[in-house]
Amino acid sequence: MKRILLAVIGIAALAMALISPAFAQSKGKVYYMVPTLLDEFQTGSVSALEMFLKQVGYEMQTLNADNKTDVQQSQMNDVIALKPAAIILAAVDFNALKPSIEAARAAGIPVVEFDRQITSTPSDFTSVAGTVEIGYVAAGEVQRLLTERYGSVKGKVLQVLGDPSDPYTLDIQKGFEEKMAAFPDVTIVSLPAMQWEASNAGTIVSDQLLANPDIDLIFNHAAHLSVAAVASLEAAGKKPGEILVMSSNGAPVGLDLIRKGWLQVEVEQPLYAQAAAVAMFMDKIVGKQEIKPGEYDVLGLTGTLTIESWGPNIRLPGAAITKDNVEDPAFWGNLKPPASAVTSVE
Amino acid sequence: MTPRTRATLEFVLDNLVWFMLLAVLAIFSLTVPNYFQIGIFANIIEQSSFVGVMAIGLALVIIAGHMDLSVESVGGLSAMVTGILFCGAGIGMGIVLTPDWLMVPVSLLIALAVGATVGAVNGLLIVKVKMNAFIVTLAAYIWVRGLVVALSGGRSAQDLSPAIRWIGIQRIASIPLVAWIAIACFVIFSLIMARTPFGRHLLMIGGNQAAAFRAGIKVDRILIIAFVLAGAIAGLSGWLLAIRTSGATANLGVGMLFNAFAAVVIGGVSLKGGVGALPGVYAGVLLLSAINTAINLMGLPAHFTQMIHGGLVLAAVLLDTLKLTIKQRLA
Repeated sequence: MKRILLAVIGIAALAMALISPAFAQSKGKVYYMVPTLLDEFQTGSVSALEMFLKQVGYEMQTLNADNKTDVQQSQMNDVIALKPAAIILAAVDFNALKPSIEAARAAGIPVVEFDRQITSTPSDFTSVAGTVEIGYVAAGEVQRLLTERYGSVKGKVLQVLGDPSDPYTLDIQKGFEEKMAAFPDVTIVSLPAMQWEASNAGTIVSDQLLANPDIDLIFNHAAHLSVAAVASLEAAGKKPGEILVMSSNGAPVGLDLIRKGWLQVEVEQPLYAQAAAVAMFMDKIVGKQEIKPGEYDVLGLTGTLTIESWGPNIRLPGAAITKDNVEDPAFWGNLKPPASAVTSVE
Repeated sequence: MTPRTRATLEFVLDNLVWFMLLAVLAIFSLTVPNYFQIGIFANIIEQSSFVGVMAIGLALVIIAGHMDLSVESVGGLSAMVTGILFCGAGIGMGIVLTPDWLMVPVSLLIALAVGATVGAVNGLLIVKVKMNAFIVTLAAYIWVRGLVVALSGGRSAQDLSPAIRWIGIQRIASIPLVAWIAIACFVIFSLIMARTPFGRHLLMIGGNQAAAFRAGIKVDRILIIAFVLAGAIAGLSGWLLAIRTSGATANLGVGMLFNAFAAVVIGGVSLKGGVGALPGVYAGVLLLSAINTAINLMGLPAHFTQMIHGGLVLAAVLLDTLKLTIKQRLA
C-alpha cells in the first residue's frame, strides 16, 4: 500500500513538473465570468476568448454563474483571492456586480467588461456591440422590411423578449422601441419568454397568431427563440416569408433559419470581434498602460474606442445578416474562427 | 343539511378544480379580448400537454409518499438526446431510418429509456440506499441539466426530422395530436391508479408505508417502479417538447417543475402522500395553462407577468386548501 502511495505521489510530482514549464511561458491567468452556458452566444464567447487570449499569451479559466447574480458575486470574491492577471466579466446583473468590480480593482486586478456594458462604475476596458445599439439595428431592419412589404413603415410587430429580469433584453427593447417610436403606424406587442425558454416563445407566437392575426413581423430577442416561433408558425400552416421573422444575437440556428427562408434578418453581435478586441488590448490592460481612443481594425471591423466615464470602451458594430450575406465567414454563427492570429496593440 | 345538499356539496368539493377551471375560463372569456375562440382553447389544451405529462409522473411519486424534483431536467435531457440524434441542423446528427415512420417509435423509445434510466438511478438511491428523496432528486435536477449542457456544449439542435415533426403539426377534431397524446396518458394512468393493484398499492404505500409492508405489499419494488415511471414519463414530456419546438436547446423545459408541482397540488394530490387522483391533476394543468394564456393575451407589462402568474397560482392553491377545510368540517 505504501509503495502504491509513493508511486502515485511520484507520478503526480512528475506531472506537476511537466505542467510548470507551460505556466512559466504564459503571461498570466485571466478569469472569464460567463453568465450562463445555456446560451449559444455565451458558450461561443468562452471558446473565442480562450482562443484569442492564448494567441497573445494568456491562459483563461471560465466560471459559469448559471444566470444567478449571487453565484457570480461569490465567484468574483473567490477569484479576487486568487489574484489573476485580469478578470473578464459578462455580468448577470449589470448593477449588482458593481461592488465586486470595485473590490477587484481595489485589489489591483484589472476588470474587463465583455458584451454587457456596466456604466455605473469604472472598469479597465469594455468591449461591446451595445445592446441598445442592437435594438437600433433591429429597428432599422424592421423599417426596411415593412417598407418593402407596404411601401411605408406600418403594420403590427410582435416583439418576443427574453426573461424580463435580464437587463440584456430590456436594453434591446429600449433601443428598438426608441427608434420605432417615430413610426406611429406600427403597433408593437411585447411579451416575455420567461427564462429565455424556447417553448415559451412558441406559446406566445401560437396565442398571438390568434389574438392578432394581422401580425406582420415577429422580432425575437434571441435566435433560439426563433426556432420555437418558426415551429409555431409552421404548425399554424404558415409558409416561410408569409410572416416576417427576425432575431438578434447571430447564433448558428438563426443563420440556418435564414437559409431556409423562415428568418429574414438576424442582427448579429460580432462575437469574434468583441473577443478579439479584449485580447488585442490585454497587454495594456494587465500592464495598466494608457489606452488611446480612436478607430481600430478588429478582424476587419472598425472598432471605435472612446474614453467614457466608465473607462475605455470599444464598440464594434453589429451587422444585419440576410440571405444575401449569410455565408460570410466573419459571422460567428457560421462557426469559422478567423484563421489569422490577433496581435497585441502597441 | 339534507343528504342531497351534502352529496352536492361533496361532489363540488371533490371536483373543485374542474369548477375553478370553468369559472376561470368564463371570467377570462368575458374580460380578456380575443380569449373566447376555439383556437385559443385548443392552444390551452396543447400547451398544457408538456407540463401535464410531466405532472403525471410527479403525481405518481408524490402519491407514493415521495418527491421527484428531477422531472424537468429529465425532460430537458430527453429532448436534447432526441434533438441530437434526429435533428438535421445545429448539433443534430440527422439520423435517418428506413422506413421513415420507424423514427417515431425509435425516438420515443430512446426518450423513454433515457428518462427511465435516470428514474431508476433515483429509485435505487432512495429505496435501496435509503437516501432522502428530496436530496437525491434535487441533485438529479442539477446533474441532469448539467449533462444536457455537457452533451450539447450549450448549443442547439434544430430542424427535427419531418417524420417525427409531423406529430407537432397534425390535428384531430381541431385539437393538436400532441394534446391527444397527453390526454391518452392521463386516461391510461388514471385507469392504472384506479383499477390495478399497482395503483391501489401506490396509494396504500403513500398513506402508510409500514402498514403496506406488513400487509405483504412489495413496497420497495413498487416504489422503484414509480420512480422509473416518473422518469420515463418525463422523458416522454421531453420528446413532445422537442417535437413542439422542432429541436432542443440547453435550457428547454426550464421553469416547468414549478408548474408541474402547482398542477399536482391544485389537482388534489396531497404532498404527504396517499391521496390524489390524476383527473384532478389534468384539470390543474389546464387551469395553469388557461391563466398563462390570459396573461399572454392581456398585454400586461412584462415586469408584472411573473408576479401575476405566481399570485394566480397561489390563489388556486388557497382555494384548494379551503376545499380541504370544508371537507374536514363535513366529515
